[in-house]
Amino acid sequence: MKKISSWIQVFIFTAFIGAAFILNLVLPDKEMSEVENRTLQQFPKFTFENFVFGSFTTDFEKYANDQFVMRDGWITVKAATELAVGKKENNGVYYCEGDTLIERFEAPDDDSLLQKAGYVNALAEKLDIPVYFAIIPGAAEIWNDKLPANAPCDSQKELIDLVYSAVPDAETVDMYGALNPHADEYIFYRTDHHWTSLGAYYGYTALMQAMGMEANGLDHYDVKTVSDAFLGTVYSTSGFTWVTPDSIQTFVNPYDGLSITNYPQGEPLEGVLYDESYLDKKDKYSMFFGGITPLIEIDTGNEGLPSLLIVRDSYMDSLTPFLLEHFSEIDIIDLRYNNANLSQYIEEHEIDSVLVCYSAYNFSIDTNLYRLAK
Amino acid sequence: MVFSSVPFMFMYLPVVLLVYYMAPWKWRNLWLFVVNLLFYGWGERVYLLLMIFCITVNFINGILIDKYRGDGRKAKLILVLNVVINIGMLVFFKYIDLIIETLRLIPGLSGLEPLGVTLPIGISFYTFQTMSYPIDVYRGDADVQKNYISFGTFVALFPQLIAGPIVRYKDVADQLNFRASSVDQFASGVRRFMIGLAKKSLIANNLGSLWDIYAAASASELTMLGSWLGIIAFSLQLYFDFSGYSDMAIGLGRMLGFEFLENFNYPYISKSITEFWRRWHMSLGTWFRDYVYIPLGGNRCSRRRQFFNILVVWALTGIWHGASWTFLLWGLYYALFLMVEKAFLLKRLERAPAILSHIYTLLIVIVGWVIFQLDSLDKCAVYLSAMFGLGGAGFAVTSDFYYMLSYAVTFVIAMAAATPLGARLYARAPEALRSCAAPALIAVALILATAYIVDGTYNPFLYFQF
Repeated sequence: MKKISSWIQVFIFTAFIGAAFILNLVLPDKEMSEVENRTLQQFPKFTFENFVFGSFTTDFEKYANDQFVMRDGWITVKAATELAVGKKENNGVYYCEGDTLIERFEAPDDDSLLQKAGYVNALAEKLDIPVYFAIIPGAAEIWNDKLPANAPCDSQKELIDLVYSAVPDAETVDMYGALNPHADEYIFYRTDHHWTSLGAYYGYTALMQAMGMEANGLDHYDVKTVSDAFLGTVYSTSGFTWVTPDSIQTFVNPYDGLSITNYPQGEPLEGVLYDESYLDKKDKYSMFFGGITPLIEIDTGNEGLPSLLIVRDSYMDSLTPFLLEHFSEIDIIDLRYNNANLSQYIEEHEIDSVLVCYSAYNFSIDTNLYRLAK
Repeated sequence: MVFSSVPFMFMYLPVVLLVYYMAPWKWRNLWLFVVNLLFYGWGERVYLLLMIFCITVNFINGILIDKYRGDGRKAKLILVLNVVINIGMLVFFKYIDLIIETLRLIPGLSGLEPLGVTLPIGISFYTFQTMSYPIDVYRGDADVQKNYISFGTFVALFPQLIAGPIVRYKDVADQLNFRASSVDQFASGVRRFMIGLAKKSLIANNLGSLWDIYAAASASELTMLGSWLGIIAFSLQLYFDFSGYSDMAIGLGRMLGFEFLENFNYPYISKSITEFWRRWHMSLGTWFRDYVYIPLGGNRCSRRRQFFNILVVWALTGIWHGASWTFLLWGLYYALFLMVEKAFLLKRLERAPAILSHIYTLLIVIVGWVIFQLDSLDKCAVYLSAMFGLGGAGFAVTSDFYYMLSYAVTFVIAMAAATPLGARLYARAPEALRSCAAPALIAVALILATAYIVDGTYNPFLYFQF
């Protein structure tokens, strides 16, 4: 009995490490991880010099890890084990009630926030057109009551109040006040850090109020569900790979006379309101305007209305469609990829007002806001 | 390459074992010698030459000491020279910058520049191993080894090369020349390796992330409850990490037919500091006992001389752990308690209720880990004041309760696993039950450990975060 058991133990161990060895050797290497959303390390080039003095061994270890057989499955096993032993988070993401994943928010120190607020205020002070400033709270704030009990998570409301208090020359927008009463609605994706189109609609009402304009009611829109299979960034971070995907909706349809020019590489190209090719990819949220780009210029086709310049992060991409019927021209700048002189741009394009709009999360980590003050 | 990694477990190890068992006996040491150098060279390409130098010098000196055995003075001279070379290597590569940084504090020497020497992996372990060999030969405790490959295999043996146990030459001398292997021994190696792997990848790493949170907290954030959670997590992390590594080393050794001595014997159940050091990192304690404490006179001398010997050994033990004066302080801290126990306390502890002895021991050990792990006296002061209710952050904040609850199961498992409870239950179980349980436990541990190892490299790229 003991002898047989010994043989079985030896077999299990050697077969396991041997099978993994052989499978890793035979199975073809992958280029890309869908779940992690990045390219995977390929077999590093071997030269004597690279081996002795270079990065061969570290690259090889990355290669071995990245190409490990059933990599995504092991990550799921780990995430499930963490939950089973009583943890309510994995890789910094909380597993909340209702299949909702919320990433822990850690506020940076006040000084760095106030410095960035100063850049926004400098822009407002310099321009003689109205500057609107909005910080959008995320699910970690609005859906705070879904978090596990006592879970550490810094307040975004406090961050917004602090930053707004340091921007006296801009017109601040009360995004928190617009979203919080609707906390029980589907205003954030459960698997992504963005707000849904419904959340963006409430953001739009706050913006209209700040600008002294009339917002449309919800019944004004023709709501379409364009995807039921959206698994976003928080899903990728978490390892909780079994959660139900999100659905993506659009409220505003493209129409004749709408003309969008996108400058992905600096040269003008015809842009689109919704790039549906992204719905077949992992990064489905990028369907709004086709994702990251330094500059988008929108001629809404509506004559006689004011023009707006938006300095923004990706949250604005799902809000902008609501603005089309209120403006004649809307230009969207991403400061990370666009180093344009804003005053000059505003003069050249005869802009009537400016909106600076960031999510609380991106505002805390952004490093390009100083460009506002130039 | 650490053992709990994909390249080691799923590439290196299968190839090493396969070739080892396919090769005839006379080629096995050569194969081990080659893969040992590959294992070391994988992490340290240039310092591989240093290790080969170390092997060669000790090998030759062993032969010379044996040759001049009749001529006491010559043999002694070579032995002293050999110890000086080994210690010199260790001092240069491990402590030179600490020495320079300290000398810079002396006015007039502030112009000295640190050399920026990087520490060769495992040098603290392998210099101690090689040093033991000529001493054993000199004392007549071991026969001279005339086969370079066998000697090199001993020094660079990959299971214990990087983090011990420190194997003395005389303990494995016979096994280098011949070792039998059996399926029972291999299976016991597998069980031991899996115990170590589970300790390291499931418990130690997990608790380590809790300690990281509290170690990074500032004085104004560190609460009393939080500081205790943090340091208890670290105490368990260190034990499971280090003893897990020793278990894996012992297990791998058995898979290759070697029997190494034990390195840990449930240290946290000790009832005195004296007992703790008989159970913690035993191979280091044995080394210092055999090659420093006893030659200094050990216990067979006056009380004052004994205290001096303790002081020397524990100063050395402390500084062996790392190039920082806080490690020296940590060693002297233990010397103090060991002297007090020798003077009178040990006898009283034996008569005291067990619970008091346990609390006394754990308290001293845990406070010791604060000195051990925090790299400045300022940080130690902040941390210790928080632990004893003198910090500025109060008793607890809500996140402390969150972490306590999140890690409760891990803590309970870890604390139970730090006692001999599990091993006793296993030993008492009927043979049939053990025969069934062992393969099942190995399979479960393999799956979970692999999941945690792979997840450790999980690195989602969230460029669309913005």
